[in-house]
Amino acid sequence: MSSSRRNFIKRATLVSAASAFGFGYSHTASQMLKSALGDKKPADPIFGNAPKPEFSVDLKTGKLQLNPEQTVAYTMCMGCSTICGVRVRIDKKTQKVLRVTGNPYHVLSSEPFLPYQTSVRDSFQALSRYQEKGLLARSTACGRGNAVLDKLTNPDRVKVPLKRVGPRGSGMWAPISFEQLVEEVVEGGDLFSEGHVDGLRAIRDIKTPIDPAQPEFGPKSNQLAFMAPFMDGRLRFAARFAKLSFGTVNFTGHRSYCTLSMRSGYAALLGDWKKQPHLKPDFVNSEFLMFIGTAPGNAGNPFKRQGKLVAQARSEGKLKYVVIDPVLTNSDNLAAAERSSWIPIKPNTDGALVMGMIRWILEKQRFDEKFLTQPGPAAAKVAGEASWSNATHLVIVDPDHPRHGHFLRTSDLDPKQPLRKGKPAPAMVIDMASSKAEAFNRAGPATLFFQGKVQTKDGKDIAVKTSMSILKEEADKYSLEEYADICGIPADTIVGLAREFTSHGKLAAVDTHGGTMGSNGFYNAFAIVMLNALVGNLNWKGGTSIGGGRFKEIAPGPRYNLKKFPGKVKPRGLGLGRNHFPYEKSVEYRRKVAAGKNPYPTQAPWYPLSPAMSSEFLTSGLNGYPYRLKALILWSSNPLYGIAGMNTQVHEKLADPKQLPLIISVDPFINESNVYADYIVPDSVLYESWGWGSAWGGNLTRVSTARWPVIEPDIAKTAEGVPIEMEVFFIAVAKRMGLPGFGEGAIQDKDGNKYPLNRAEDFYLRAAANVAYFGGAVPDVSDEELSLSGVERIAERLRETLKPEEWRKVAYVYARGGRFENADQAYQGEWLKYRYKKPMQIYDEHLATARNSLTGKRYTGTPTWMGPKLSDGSSLDEAFPVKQWPFKVISTKSNLQSSHTIGLASLQQIHPKNAIAIHVDDAAELGVSTGDQIRVTTPGGSVVGAALVRNGIQQGVLSIEHGFGHRQLGARAYRIGNKLQKANRLSGYGVTINDLGFADPSRKGLSVLTDWVVGNVARQGLPARVERA
Amino acid sequence: MNSNIVDLISVTREVSWLSWGVQYFFLIGLSYGAFFLTLPAFVFGRKNMQKTGRLALLIAISCGIAAPVALVSDLHQPGRFYNFYLHFTPTSWMSWGSFFLPAYVVLLLVYAWFIYRPDLELQANNQSGMLARVSRLLAFGGNEAPAVIKMLGLMTLFAALLVATYTGSEMAVVRARPLWNGPMMPLLYLFTGLGGAAGLGLLLNRIIGDASESVSNQLSRFLVVFLSLTMLTVLLWMLTGLAGHSSSGMVLMRLATEYNPLLFTLLWLSICTLLPFLLIINKRQQTWWLSGFLSLTGAWLFRWSMFIDGQRIPKTGAGFNDYSIPLGTEGLLGIAGTLGLWLLLVIMITSFIPWQGSKQNTSV
Amino acid sequence: MEESRRKFFKGIVVAAGTTALASTAKVSAATERPRGDADHRWGMVVDLRKCIGCQACTVACHMENDVPIGKFRTIVSNYEIKIGNKTRSVVLPRLCNHCEDPACIPVCPVKATYQRDDGIVVVDNSRCVGCAYCVQACPYDARFINPETNTADKCTFCVHRVEAGLLPACVETCVGGARMFGDLKDPQSQVSKLIEKFPTEGLRPEMKTRPQVYYIGLDKHFNSKVEGTPSLWKREEALGEEKES
Ligand SMILES: Nc1nc2c(c(=O)[nH]1)N[C@H]1C(S)=C(S)[C@@H](COP(=O)(O)OP(=O)(O)OC[C@H]3O[C@@H](n4cnc5c(=O)[nH]c(N)nc54)[C@H](O)[C@@H]3O)O[C@H]1N2
Ligand SMILES: Nc1nc2c(c(=O)[nH]1)N[C@H]1C(S)=C(S)[C@@H](COP(=O)(O)OP(=O)(O)OC[C@H]3O[C@@H](n4cnc5c(=O)[nH]c(N)nc54)[C@H](O)[C@@H]3O)O[C@H]1N2
Ligand code: SF4
Ligand code: SF4
Ligand code: SF4
Ligand code: SF4
Ligand code: SF4
Ligand SMILES: [Mo]
Repeated sequence: MSSSRRNFIKRATLVSAASAFGFGYSHTASQMLKSALGDKKPADPIFGNAPKPEFSVDLKTGKLQLNPEQTVAYTMCMGCSTICGVRVRIDKKTQKVLRVTGNPYHVLSSEPFLPYQTSVRDSFQALSRYQEKGLLARSTACGRGNAVLDKLTNPDRVKVPLKRVGPRGSGMWAPISFEQLVEEVVEGGDLFSEGHVDGLRAIRDIKTPIDPAQPEFGPKSNQLAFMAPFMDGRLRFAARFAKLSFGTVNFTGHRSYCTLSMRSGYAALLGDWKKQPHLKPDFVNSEFLMFIGTAPGNAGNPFKRQGKLVAQARSEGKLKYVVIDPVLTNSDNLAAAERSSWIPIKPNTDGALVMGMIRWILEKQRFDEKFLTQPGPAAAKVAGEASWSNATHLVIVDPDHPRHGHFLRTSDLDPKQPLRKGKPAPAMVIDMASSKAEAFNRAGPATLFFQGKVQTKDGKDIAVKTSMSILKEEADKYSLEEYADICGIPADTIVGLAREFTSHGKLAAVDTHGGTMGSNGFYNAFAIVMLNALVGNLNWKGGTSIGGGRFKEIAPGPRYNLKKFPGKVKPRGLGLGRNHFPYEKSVEYRRKVAAGKNPYPTQAPWYPLSPAMSSEFLTSGLNGYPYRLKALILWSSNPLYGIAGMNTQVHEKLADPKQLPLIISVDPFINESNVYADYIVPDSVLYESWGWGSAWGGNLTRVSTARWPVIEPDIAKTAEGVPIEMEVFFIAVAKRMGLPGFGEGAIQDKDGNKYPLNRAEDFYLRAAANVAYFGGAVPDVSDEELSLSGVERIAERLRETLKPEEWRKVAYVYARGGRFENADQAYQGEWLKYRYKKPMQIYDEHLATARNSLTGKRYTGTPTWMGPKLSDGSSLDEAFPVKQWPFKVISTKSNLQSSHTIGLASLQQIHPKNAIAIHVDDAAELGVSTGDQIRVTTPGGSVVGAALVRNGIQQGVLSIEHGFGHRQLGARAYRIGNKLQKANRLSGYGVTINDLGFADPSRKGLSVLTDWVVGNVARQGLPARVERA
Repeated sequence: MNSNIVDLISVTREVSWLSWGVQYFFLIGLSYGAFFLTLPAFVFGRKNMQKTGRLALLIAISCGIAAPVALVSDLHQPGRFYNFYLHFTPTSWMSWGSFFLPAYVVLLLVYAWFIYRPDLELQANNQSGMLARVSRLLAFGGNEAPAVIKMLGLMTLFAALLVATYTGSEMAVVRARPLWNGPMMPLLYLFTGLGGAAGLGLLLNRIIGDASESVSNQLSRFLVVFLSLTMLTVLLWMLTGLAGHSSSGMVLMRLATEYNPLLFTLLWLSICTLLPFLLIINKRQQTWWLSGFLSLTGAWLFRWSMFIDGQRIPKTGAGFNDYSIPLGTEGLLGIAGTLGLWLLLVIMITSFIPWQGSKQNTSV
Repeated sequence: MEESRRKFFKGIVVAAGTTALASTAKVSAATERPRGDADHRWGMVVDLRKCIGCQACTVACHMENDVPIGKFRTIVSNYEIKIGNKTRSVVLPRLCNHCEDPACIPVCPVKATYQRDDGIVVVDNSRCVGCAYCVQACPYDARFINPETNTADKCTFCVHRVEAGLLPACVETCVGGARMFGDLKDPQSQVSKLIEKFPTEGLRPEMKTRPQVYYIGLDKHFNSKVEGTPSLWKREEALGEEKES
């Protein structure tokens, strides 16, 4: 090597070595400098950056010392539909929410919860270590509840009204003023240079029928559909606008894709198809619980209370429980030893399990005979029963009888009997003492099993059976072994469950929920809840409860009537779900019959028993059956993400403005559904909103949860300086349209004085007054409590809005985060204080006499086993043979996610994405191990995700957690004005389970698979196959 | 893997001793390893090992200076290193290390200085200008002082042993990491350090030395010994693991078979220890530099594997945590930085100091 | 170098030097670090029968203590285990055990981590050099280097709340009521009573650290390193980052 070359190499090496050194150590050097300059030094050498505690409590005296920089306010959580009462800790200066935990007065957050009269000061003390009170009175928020505060500062939040500037779904928006927004949506016009669009004013015609030939559709105002979320405390305001003021029938929450199956099962059991009340066990005093298709502690409603009570009862109480679920969840717990257990089941076969149990229970006579033989309230009272049933009621079973399937009523025996209008004559039973047919309300204990004939006055025989006999017939349709084979649970386990369930008197109960959301969900749910009737546990301590209810707020309350107003519309006509109206009364039916045609099948099923169903709004409105939609309002709901198969079915049509000309969304986020909106109206989030919530169940005492803005909403304001949220928008729209129920004089007090409804407070604060005065007024708030509770912040608004004698009482309520009945009110002796008055129905007359509109066939009036079905009642498994589709997909809620937890880093860091759970043996056959990518295909689509190989899953089942794999909600970028809102991968990870949903082949047009009786969306038990991806 | 237990929710911990630490352990191992190779020449007076000794000394001091810099960088708060000296903690090997290490480096430098002084004096006489003046200053008289060198050598030896002990023990005492926990760690650090140093010697002999055959012969003989010691120790370690006598050995076996077999079994064990060993006993001189390179790499890989893979074995959970080497200063760039510093040092030393002794110096 | 730039750099060096010295002085002056009250010994009892794995504790800790995303002072591990032909769910809240013989303290080269007289093991983040030796030494993976402060971080038993007479954040929000916190020296405290009443165990007894977080209902498969199918958790996903492929 020449020396010059050598030198060159040396120099080159030198330069690169030096630069490598320089770069390599740059970070070290800057670190050194930084630490020398004291950059980013934590606030405290030991506590780090933890903020100072909200208050402190002297452990000797219990004296409370406040931190003047923070406020603790009691309001409502919106981390899931449980809507617990929470305490929100706020930094006064920055108006940032620092942390959230439970409200110790609130039954959904604490057990025991504080007596209502406890002072706010004492409520703080009760949370502390003083006398170790805090351990007992601990009031909690769940994982999601602790995390959701980050929704407030989510960078993807919509804070100004948006108008789309690109094609629908393009994610290109222009910010517009509130005034422009209101003008455009009301007046319409050529809004997008795509031609004329009808505004809300043009659509709101409450006189002209949509189709004069089919008047049952109702007026043109029904062509606005409004999808709302659930009773989140604000729904009744939205309903006031949509139903009572605008006048559309097509307004409802998400029940049909949440848990309509369970609600319908209970509707049949409790005989109320309109309100669909449901029962919850009295967890605290129960001895044996069966959770079939619901997962306490993992999901379920009320999530937290249920989780807590089950945890407490299985360790300190007497509770033993089983969870019947295709997948093992955190409902089970090894440490609870034999107090809890999990029994795997094949999806959609709960009916078989339960009918097997019922068969055995009836055979062995292990039902509560004393309860079931009481035919009416009077007999029950004599017998000391807390409720009664129609088990002994006689059903007309003669197929030729005009009232076949109905209960035998006194009027059937004596046609000349004078009847009170609208009230059917009493049903009849065989009185045990006299062995004679007798009106149920006059008889003593009646015969449980009877089939035979009853004679009419004019000597004709009517063939009848008791409800119980019919149930027995249905249960006896299959042998125990057959049932065992269907559901995959061995016959002796079924017997064991039945024996255990009937070994605790009334201290046993069954609970169900989302696991029944299959295509045969209704009958599964009806069968499950029937078990409660067989042990007669309704209204008993340790049994099942209808819930303590609420302090009536948005109601004709003690101070203001928030239900009635001048000009109130009674919406009428057939809903888009073809629900709550028998097809046989329609023009279509009569026309077909008149033309000599078979009236069956219809193009899409009718649901005579069901309430409004938002899951049908889009498909029906786009199919034009029964009629087309002109406008859609989406408020805080996300059907394209939440409904199995909906996105695949409708997204192309929604993207086409000709199909549905106007879509308005009110939502703080851009989700999978409102990404197709023409306008997005911002909304308040969580603790920024007003509202009145309650508990869904599991509360034995009255609960009304105050939702109030504990911080100033971070949203653009109207010209008047009011933050733009749902209420403000609809008030403005209603006022511009001159609709009733809003503006001056829209609210009346009990004396008929009129008050305006110009702001959200006008409504909710008067509702608060109703709460504060319901069944006796609460005390006045003290100045101290006003300041301690942070209610000071809104005190001015209270004073402005309410009457002088009201405002301090209302403030007393807000200071405690609502109004709550004390725990000592739960029971009256061995009975619950709040009791359901109607009977438990073994046989449901409405159900039994309703027909499937695709086949014209009647439904069965008692629980019975039926496999999964298409809408026309044909077998799902025949349409999609097991050979081709050997797996069933189900969805299990993640205990860490709900649809209201959006892109929350603090949660997703724990569990960033879902996987596809598969049984070890199935995985071995496929040759996959945990972490391998697999593809799941159903008739509707396919998804790819990581396999999670488990023992804790039924063979042949694939389980995917819902709540992951978002396409919007931050997972993609948007252009707003000239700003690009970047995508954040957080909400996008994982599998979108509802991409696996599919259309029902027995229906025409767009559809998703639903239950064949009540129409709940089927998210459980979708046929599938799986392969390595 | 036990499929009866499935971990549904658990998080894994990040590696918190970073590649800087690997570099430190690597450089310091090479330094004390090379230092031991200077002993025959300068302490035990073996004349025929002079050349090898000088090469080794170059390695010892260049690596010895670069090492502490890497160490400081492994601190997440490097600017606070002074706390080591404000809060001596006798229970912590790392605390002791903060005294041993500078002692060793300073002694090593003084030892080297005494060795270089006569040559510096010569350089001062033979050169002119700045270099001459600096050399004169550095030579400080330039008299030969073999006794002093011997004494300094022994003192440095003591310090080097302390450094070797503390570096190995620092890991060996960590009960929470069974792989590290046991006597094998200090031994293997020592043997692989020696092997790496001999290997680096073989390489440098070719690159910046004069490819001397005697140096090459001597170093390869050393290397065979070091590699044998390494392999024997690992064998022993594995056997105790297989027999279930040592939990450390058991974890080693999992590392070699289950956790990271590619790195440990294939790369390190076979290619970086067995292969160079075979190449050398095969007497094919042309390939010895390759042996040197492999053994040097082996010294690094061993440290990487113990350090990084050791941290990838979860303490409470199952499996083997993910780790991909970051591109920035906490990973590749950091490694490049330490190597850059080392190269810089080598170039500076070889440029300004007559490291090869007076003869070579005058002959240029 | 021109004069002004030289001055600038000199300025930085001097400034750095003096602040370093100043902070050194401050650290050495602050020898009285908070030590707590030796009359108490804080500890926790986790009744596993009551844990529902809701991770409220995990998130509350994160919110209360400003724990950076992807790092955990506490986490509730969630497993399933097949025993015979039954498969069961297992939850296991993990946090620093505030050990009586902590493995983390003796290794700390600068005494940045220390045990207070009330048993709480804390890190003085103004002294910690971020060497992560304690992170290696803790057998429970209870420690991590906080990427924001660049010092060791771990559960403090929420000592700032405890001293204010309140409960640790994870305890006050524990939905199942599984986490109990109190004074182990006080025989009347609820934790003492629970330990008295139920068999309890600490994690990893083989590590001889004498942990002061006691578990009721801990199954033997889970008290040490849990061998099984590892979780699918990925750091880059937890951080919302895309994996470089
Ligand atoms: N963590 C969490 N909690 C929540 C919510 C949430 O999003 N996350 N949402 C709230 C809401 S809106 C609701 S409606 C409730 C619902 O609460 P749940 O009903 O308890 O929850 P789901 O996950 O819908 O269904 C319950 C269980 O049914 C199982 N399952 C699926 N198919 C079948 C079947 O065929 N048979 C049986 N027996 N089981 C089956 C699933 O694996 C699941 O574990 O939860 C509320 N609480
Ligand atoms: N496969 C599968 N599908 C399911 C389920 C399942 O378990 N598996 N669960 C079903 C159940 S039980 C239900 S209830 C439905 C729920 O489904 P939906 O009721 O349709 O809607 P969510 O997904 O709850 O969407 C609520 C929307 O409200 C907005 N939002 C979020 N936080 C706030 C807030 O604080 N304030 C306001 N104003 N808006 C907010 C967001 O845009 C969010 O998308 O999904 C159902 N779908
Ligand atoms: S259960 Fe639902 S409402 Fe209650 S705290 Fe948790 S997320 Fe909030
Ligand atoms: S759990 Fe770990 S960090 Fe906590 S005291 Fe014990 S050894 Fe130290
Ligand atoms: S990281 Fe900090 S606390 Fe831990 S050992 Fe090092 S200096 Fe001590
Ligand atoms: S005690 Fe405090 S720091 Fe420790 S885990 Fe609980 S919340 Fe976190
Ligand atoms: S908060 Fe309580 S119940 Fe929930 S996971 Fe943590 S320890 Fe378990
Ligand atoms: Mo729901």
